[in-house]
Amino acid sequence: MSESDINFLTKWECVMSITINVSDDNKAATMKINGRFDFSMHNEFRKAYKDVSLSGGQYIVDLSATEYLDSSALGMLLLLKEHAESQDCGVTLTGYGDEIKEILTIASFDKIFTLS
Amino acid sequence: MSQTSDKEKIILVVDDDQTNRLVLSSLLKESGYKAIIAVNGEEAVKIVDENHVDIILLDVMMPVMDGYQAARIIKSRQTYFIPIIFLTAMTDEAALAKCIDSGGDDFLTKPFNHTLLNAKIDSMLRIAGLYKSIAEQNIEIKNKNFQVEQEMIVTKKLFEKIINNDLRGDKTGLHYSMSPMSIFNGDLILAEKNQTSGFDVLIADFTGHGLSAAIGALPVSDVFHSMTNKCFSFNDILVEANLKLTELLPTHMFMAAGLISVDRSNNVLSVVNAGLPDMYLYRNGEILHTFKSRNIPLGISKLSASQFEVEMQTLEYGDRLIAATDGIMEANNAAGEMFGLERLLKVFEDNVDAEALFETILSSCSEFREGAEQTDDITLLEVCHLENIEYKTNVAFQNEHREPSNWSIQFSLDIKSLRQFDVLPYIMQAVNQLQPLGSGRTSVHTLLAEMFSNALDHGVLKLDSSMKNTPQGFMEFYQEKQKRLESMEEGHIQVSLHHELDANKGGRFTLHLMDSGEGYDFRNVDTHKNKYSGRGLKLVSSLATDMKVLGKGNAVMAYYDWDNK
Repeated sequence: MSESDINFLTKWECVMSITINVSDDNKAATMKINGRFDFSMHNEFRKAYKDVSLSGGQYIVDLSATEYLDSSALGMLLLLKEHAESQDCGVTLTGYGDEIKEILTIASFDKIFTLS
Repeated sequence: MSQTSDKEKIILVVDDDQTNRLVLSSLLKESGYKAIIAVNGEEAVKIVDENHVDIILLDVMMPVMDGYQAARIIKSRQTYFIPIIFLTAMTDEAALAKCIDSGGDDFLTKPFNHTLLNAKIDSMLRIAGLYKSIAEQNIEIKNKNFQVEQEMIVTKKLFEKIINNDLRGDKTGLHYSMSPMSIFNGDLILAEKNQTSGFDVLIADFTGHGLSAAIGALPVSDVFHSMTNKCFSFNDILVEANLKLTELLPTHMFMAAGLISVDRSNNVLSVVNAGLPDMYLYRNGEILHTFKSRNIPLGISKLSASQFEVEMQTLEYGDRLIAATDGIMEANNAAGEMFGLERLLKVFEDNVDAEALFETILSSCSEFREGAEQTDDITLLEVCHLENIEYKTNVAFQNEHREPSNWSIQFSLDIKSLRQFDVLPYIMQAVNQLQPLGSGRTSVHTLLAEMFSNALDHGVLKLDSSMKNTPQGFMEFYQEKQKRLESMEEGHIQVSLHHELDANKGGRFTLHLMDSGEGYDFRNVDTHKNKYSGRGLKLVSSLATDMKVLGKGNAVMAYYDWDNK
């Protein structure tokens, strides 16, 4: 397969399902996760926040368009938390429906994240 | 693709016409290929069988065997991709389609254009090169896969030996079923006898599946078995396992777990649910209590003992605790639906025979799945509280060859020592080191544990054991115990252990515990109804060869005779 073929395939896999918006004062970054939040999102999720550096404040994960969330997604949220804490920031999870709330509750994530 | 021109490519020219053969051969040589020739289909087949050929230029109409038949035979026997380009004077569509149909990869109509022929050969060689590298990669992947699988099988055997201590059976009341989705299981069940002759069980589910998920099981198993054996308390085991996992696991990995302890001296079930689905206590055909997850999974952040939320319930014989990892609830059928909570609760509701509950849950889940591919590890656990429990004898105990001896040890513990650490496991260990106890080991452990907690709870901390009569009270009792232990300024316990050999058989243990408490008027307690205030001492009196309450009721002496036969 030629170089260009391979590039095409990689690009094709990265249909954007995570968006990130950083506020003007650089104190809030909002990540919106569309569709299924599972292991397949791993790279994209990391890529989304990896170069973001806030000056204090909150990372907000908007789960309103998230259909499903599994245990590897919980793991990714822990990675985000680690990233946020290194910048003295918190992580807020927001917009989730009942099913996702149930998963977050079973994992007692209310004890380590801000849920709103 | 440059790789195709590394070596001189061999092109087989098959034509019954000599002029055609000569023209083609010289043309190919000019372009840098090596040409070999066959005069009909049969000869072509023979050459291909015996030699490596990169491309075949095949005429259609030939005596002996025509091009169509030769192409079919060659393609059916090829072990690598050999492109066939038909060279034909025919131009009707049906004939050309027949070329492709019989196995040809392309065709060129005579009289052919030289540039076009060269272009077609180049194109075919490129495709053959791609086929070749894919085939090589496939072989490599197959070999690697085989190797990895073999290594996994060996590792799995080792792994199971380390982890496994199977207490399962109808005589212990412990049942579980595990079906991993790959060779290694990301789910884990550990069980170990505790000092009350009941057992502690850990059911766990690591993030992910397979080897990377299973590897965390080793440190957990190590902590769990060694600490339960040494009589560390429930909370201490959790703190230690959590600490190890937090240090060891990468940030995104954790272990959802349930720790279940059956206290047979008090008939109490303690449960810590850290990230697992609901667990159920089942009695007389219905769910009596649901243990919800109240803790974050292990391996995320370091926690102290008091940060774990423990739930307790008093047990009756025949009670069953059912626990599962999320694999049951999230089991998919072919339509992508999940088994789910509703179906699970329906199984509980419809169940008539308590004995069959466990199997019914499993079979309902597998009927629902109807053979759909498993997407997660599935684990189900049942702990039944039996009136009489019987363990298989543990081989480890019989392998100790130390000679029994005469010895005495004494510990004096002030309130600070009592507050700062759980001393009991260390005393137990000292006893184990000094004395090969054989089957009496558990009894001595239980005697010591019960006498010690009696001295601490009622003597030093002045807790009222009647609090423990209700499940609610049981929780309060332990919360109060923690509070008093932290705030109490005075108090001490003295533990004396003495062992004396018997000339003919094993020997006699003497356990003496004295506390700083006020004691109680043991001489005037109604001997029939409530001889000893707590259930603990009742157990001591039944296990010990003999026991006495001494002093003002703040000291207890127990004897235990053991036999080495």
